Amino acid sequence: MIHRPVTRRRLLAGAAAACGASLIPARAHARGSVTAAMYPGTWEEAYRTHVAPALKKAHDVDLEMTPLFAVDQIAKAQAARGAPPFDAFVLDPGPRVTAIERGLFERFDAKRLAALAQLPKDATDEWGVTVAAQVVGIAYNPKKVPRPKAWTDLLKDPWVSRLGMTGFQTTYGTVSIIEISRQLGGSETNVEPFFTEIRKVLPKIAAIGAPASMPSLFQQGQCDITYTNTQTVATLRGRDVDVEFVTPESGAVAFFTTMHIAKGSRAADNAYKYFDTVVSAPVQAALMQPPNNLIPVNRGVKLAAGLPMTSLDEMASFVRHDWSKINPLRAGWIERFNKEVAK
Amino acid sequence: MTAPAAAGALGVPRRPGGAGPWAEWQLALPLALAYAAFFLVPLLLLIAISAFDDETLTTVGFAQWRKFLGDPFYWKVILDTVKLGFYTVVATTLIGYPIALVYLGAGPRWQRVILFVVILPLLTSVVVRTFAWIVILGREGVINQAVLWLGLAPAPLRLLQTEHGLVMALTQIEMPLLLLPLLSVMSRVDPNLADASAALGASRWRTLFRVTLPLSLPGLLAGCMLVFASSTTAFISQFTIGGNRLVYLPLLIWQQSLVVYNWPLASVAALTLLVSVSLGVVAIAAIGRRAQAYAS
Repeated sequence: MIHRPVTRRRLLAGAAAACGASLIPARAHARGSVTAAMYPGTWEEAYRTHVAPALKKAHDVDLEMTPLFAVDQIAKAQAARGAPPFDAFVLDPGPRVTAIERGLFERFDAKRLAALAQLPKDATDEWGVTVAAQVVGIAYNPKKVPRPKAWTDLLKDPWVSRLGMTGFQTTYGTVSIIEISRQLGGSETNVEPFFTEIRKVLPKIAAIGAPASMPSLFQQGQCDITYTNTQTVATLRGRDVDVEFVTPESGAVAFFTTMHIAKGSRAADNAYKYFDTVVSAPVQAALMQPPNNLIPVNRGVKLAAGLPMTSLDEMASFVRHDWSKINPLRAGWIERFNKEVAK
Repeated sequence: MTAPAAAGALGVPRRPGGAGPWAEWQLALPLALAYAAFFLVPLLLLIAISAFDDETLTTVGFAQWRKFLGDPFYWKVILDTVKLGFYTVVATTLIGYPIALVYLGAGPRWQRVILFVVILPLLTSVVVRTFAWIVILGREGVINQAVLWLGLAPAPLRLLQTEHGLVMALTQIEMPLLLLPLLSVMSRVDPNLADASAALGASRWRTLFRVTLPLSLPGLLAGCMLVFASSTTAFISQFTIGGNRLVYLPLLIWQQSLVVYNWPLASVAALTLLVSVSLGVVAIAAIGRRAQAYAS
């Protein structure tokens, strides 16, 4: 047997070959996988636990997830210019409209979903499929402040001095501020009344925080009332935090989280299988259970107690917004919010 | 295997006259290429993107620069960002330098302990450290509980989402960046010099200001520059602890690039941050040179 000494040159050549090999694109698509962008945190954990095994079992497709917030998905897809880093988007209504305007989706054929008959009529369109609903209202700590009734209570004593708020960066923040404005005489496109009112009470407000830190701020008692979605309330309750969800007198706000196929995706077939698995009744029911607390869109799922409605049809009466009108104004609102609330 | 063969296998070219400057260049080449590809090119892209008027990058112009630099609000944001870095540098220096002196006077075993404690925060994620500060600074947090228990204030103090609360948190978060260069320079200072100073009749304070401080100045300066650059750009800490009440340049960059997709304005803010941090670092270096000239 001939011993060949391991020289540095051979070692480098070997290492270079190994690195080079890793650059050759893995032919994962051919073997049945789909890469989905996924909201980090609760969503990602829930999908790993429930959707990935179900997809593997039903279609022998592997689910690979890239944790990204909605805005980051748009930024990544846009920067990639036609070679999307993932096959499927998961988006809130604002970013969804932006993505449609920027041509980031493939056309969607709802008839390819086996579960189509169990979905509400407006759950699919030419761009994608609704996979979860979100209901936004007021969350408060019943041990610290009285029960609020209306959106405008947030800006009144005794609530305002315990109020924690976020700006227009998130969907739930934006729709809540729009609702406050509407009660003060504004509209979907006019949040001026909110800014007028907020200027008067600004020094009293307990916290104006980063969206990601709001649950922590509530848990730590930094604020005792805030606008948020039912999912956050359920998650906080799961951590033994004293928190109640209130539907404001003018109605709770509903919006929908949708999924879409990225333009240029080479795994569109698997993406349809993925969507079909996500909206199937057993998976939707599992995603609704704590600690996931996602509101289902499949009529075959009985809604959990603690939600502000007993059936999906009731959501038709909830307040909805037109994001194609909101999006163009949002940059200006964010800038205005910075200027108004910054010290 | 013979010795020359081994040398050949190690790939060292044997050139007459030894290695010239070109050999050193070759060594630096991989880093230079990586630097060009991953810093210089993106920087040029950033500059290019900032020279568009609209979000879809179709019209060339300087509208975003005019908007940014013509608005007093953004000037205040720039000033606040630099001020935050300055306060953090002052606070880390005031607390960190005495720790370094303790380190200098300690035995080898304690030096290892101090070094470990200094490095410890670097071993946890900045997200964890920042969220821990929410618990510490909060209305029902450790500090406020102590203040109320001691009867120092009738109601909980507002610490979260204030500049001084943020500086407190950043002081702890950035402390290793000050201490590591400072300790490495200080441990190389000859301890006999302090003894000699004492033998010549200098008081401890005089020895500190005329001997120890000037000799440790290069380390202190390096630490200050790192703390300044790191605290002015610490987006997670600034946003999580400062919230929306305190607006700094990194928050603007995030909002403009990832929330409203106005990349030209985001580029303008990013370049402004780059320039103001660089100016801060240059200023620290200049102060250091002055101080060194004065001390010697």
